[in-house]
Amino acid sequence: MAVLRGFLWLLGFLLLGDILATLAGLPVSAGVIGMLLLTAWLMIRGTVSADIAAAAQPLIGVLAMLIMPGVVGVFFILGTLAGQWLAILAALVGGTLLSVFTTLWLMRRLMGKESLDHE
Amino acid sequence: MSELLDHLLATPLLAIALTLAAYFAGGRLFRLVGAPAWCPPILVAALLLAGVLAVLGIDYADYREGAGWLMLLLGPATVALGLPLYQQMGHIRAMWRPLLVCLPISALMAAFYAVGIAWLLNAPPEILASLAPKSVTAPIAIGITEQLGGSVSLMMGGLLLTGVVAIGFVDLVARWLKIRDPRLIGLALGINGHAIGTVRAFEIGPTAGAFASLGMSLTGILTALLLPLAWQLPGLVG
Repeated sequence: MAVLRGFLWLLGFLLLGDILATLAGLPVSAGVIGMLLLTAWLMIRGTVSADIAAAAQPLIGVLAMLIMPGVVGVFFILGTLAGQWLAILAALVGGTLLSVFTTLWLMRRLMGKESLDHE
Repeated sequence: MSELLDHLLATPLLAIALTLAAYFAGGRLFRLVGAPAWCPPILVAALLLAGVLAVLGIDYADYREGAGWLMLLLGPATVALGLPLYQQMGHIRAMWRPLLVCLPISALMAAFYAVGIAWLLNAPPEILASLAPKSVTAPIAIGITEQLGGSVSLMMGGLLLTGVVAIGFVDLVARWLKIRDPRLIGLALGINGHAIGTVRAFEIGPTAGAFASLGMSLTGILTALLLPLAWQLPGLVG
């Protein structure tokens, strides 16, 4: 029963996030606001209830399965992307190389000596 | 045969059963080939499922309609990510200063580089919107893409490729910049390679793993909050 009680908590935060996003006209998904609300709630409580952990951990464990219907779709749109391949590949590969460099370079600058001592 | 298939597709049960079966079979096949670090297990499962749909002659739109019931769980699963975020609050507090500067810049630049390159190569707006959340973990990225008006399928493909190349690039650039701190390497893997990078970081060690999940969740939140707003800027200016 702990799982169901925890699931109800998650649904409650999700609905609360949906209400806030709709009322405030925020272009942010209800799930993200619900996640922030849950984090804030746990920080206020200072502890994780067994119910919430019982529902949250298995859900996080099957995240990969939940996104599969979307992943499969990529094999069915390959034909419609003809002519855009170069732009898409260059953006993904080139963009990722640049952003990895930005993160590492920036963090090394910001952490300074500390990052070199910590090996 | 096709009548029977139509009958079965009238409810979401077949689509859900096929997804679950491919998930477990894909995981087993993945371990059978020695669990290569560069290949996310989800890719094996998705290939299997695409093959089964093609062989059975099931239209993707029909499958998607049924499987949508599974994806409904992504909402509560996204909320559940608040739990690991809370558990890492100690790490966040200890490094709040560099994180506060680095995360918003990294998260926005990850989207900006990709969109910029695609825009220079004349990609249409729908493709730009699908590429923008490429470094964000999937449950959050789906919400972002839907808001920007992109294609979820293309975004998912971009997400997979980004995760795979991020693993290689983090290794390469860290060596080049002589960075050996597992906290920095983990953070870079999580910020740029979302869940796929985070799995790789846990192979390096628990510290790298913790910082990768930290980078992944904060990038997801920041991108979800900032990107839809940044997306409206060109429209407001022009």
